[in-house]
Amino acid sequence: MTLYDFLSGAVAFGFFTCSLFLMRYWRRSRDELFLTFALAFVLLGVGQTILALANIPTEERGSIYLFRLAAFLLILFAIYRKNRAARN
Amino acid sequence: MGAVFPTIVYVLCFLTSACCAWLLGRSYRRSQVRLLMWSSICFGFLALNNLLLVLDLAVWPQPEVDLRLPRLLMAMAAVVSLLWGFIWDVEEE
Repeated sequence: MTLYDFLSGAVAFGFFTCSLFLMRYWRRSRDELFLTFALAFVLLGVGQTILALANIPTEERGSIYLFRLAAFLLILFAIYRKNRAARN
Repeated sequence: MGAVFPTIVYVLCFLTSACCAWLLGRSYRRSQVRLLMWSSICFGFLALNNLLLVLDLAVWPQPEVDLRLPRLLMAMAAVVSLLWGFIWDVEEE
């Protein structure tokens, strides 16, 4: 169990750190793609944190997958917007 | 029946991350911006993580097969590769 807890915490922290780096890129370039990705990584980190802290054995029962869904929908939305902007 | 919606969500997450990995890899080949390569690797690992999640929760029920460790390792590899890119390639710029 300790290994799972350790890895869960590390992964959550990793998601949050990645999101900070993405925010720095956003501040520098003002490219919204970075901001949306940063938000998506925060959501993934939050989902991972709740999963680890609540000690839920099966992810589908806790509705935590909704965080994952929101994160990936954000990413899809960001890519769609970026592609549309590139075409215009 | 209650697990159908989550399974659909996980399959969609898998497809999205795989698609991201592919798109980022393609733009890396075009632009040679190294950060795009690291992001592509990150999303590749996230795709594997989502694929394992689908297998773990929907294909093989949990008591017999437990893929939690490989799932966590894939997520770990994803964040580590992106952080590696951020830290090392930002230094070089």
